Amino acid sequence: MAYNVLIVDDSATMRALIRKVLVISGFDIGEYFEGANGQEALGILEHNWVDIILSDIHMPGMDGAALVETLKDHKLWRNIPVVLITTESRPEVINPFLNLGVQDYIQKPFRPETIRKKLTGILGEAQTPDAIESEGCDF
Amino acid sequence: MLSNLKAATFEVLETMFYLFPESLEEGEVLPARGPFLRSWVTIAGPQSICIGLQVPQSLARKMAANFLGTDEEEISQPEMEDILKETTNMMAGAFLSKMKASGAFKLQTPEAQWLAVEEEKKKAPVNRLRFDVDDELMELFVKKG
Repeated sequence: MAYNVLIVDDSATMRALIRKVLVISGFDIGEYFEGANGQEALGILEHNWVDIILSDIHMPGMDGAALVETLKDHKLWRNIPVVLITTESRPEVINPFLNLGVQDYIQKPFRPETIRKKLTGILGEAQTPDAIESEGCDF
Repeated sequence: MLSNLKAATFEVLETMFYLFPESLEEGEVLPARGPFLRSWVTIAGPQSICIGLQVPQSLARKMAANFLGTDEEEISQPEMEDILKETTNMMAGAFLSKMKASGAFKLQTPEAQWLAVEEEKKKAPVNRLRFDVDDELMELFVKKG
């Protein structure tokens, strides 16, 4: 099973990098969606199913904190895991997000294996169609 | 402070760009091939500081190509600016972590500016560290207040 990923970052270059790193990491990605801030992310969620959100904190317009608060107040989106990808690792900055229900954070700079490890820890190892078939489905 | 900034910079360059800078000795010179791209970010707080990075265009192009995994010929000027700003931002974040700075210190939005060789000479920052990165000059600078 592949996972749909939403990347939220105001830098198009950073979004491209995260996408590239996800490919390199070997994590099984279905569809990629991208937003430049929280508002764009919410617009994408209105029309698409997303399995995990990777979000920056500091963004013009709706920032990471406002995005997370909105998600957690929404009955359908509140369970979508959110992972911060941020230059920050100071507890004073990160802890309020963890208290809001953010799953984890990845500090930039990062390596592909870090992303894979975090996503696998949250979503589990994605299974290939062959693996699913070999396990069988009994109804 | 400078040793933490240097460590933060090395961490970012090695992890994100696979570049391994070497400190330049006092008086050691590398050919200045401009124009230069300078990026800086202000860390606002009880005592604000500005930290920045300056590289020649050729190194900015190489960094962007490494970062995005594309050929150097395909890299545009805005991409170089974007990458250097992001690099400065990551350096500042890593620097704050290493300094164990309190939450009162906040990162501002990074900025970037192109400088011709002559402008660079006029605007050369005072407190700077110089590095050799793949035979290109990289300068780090820090300014208080």
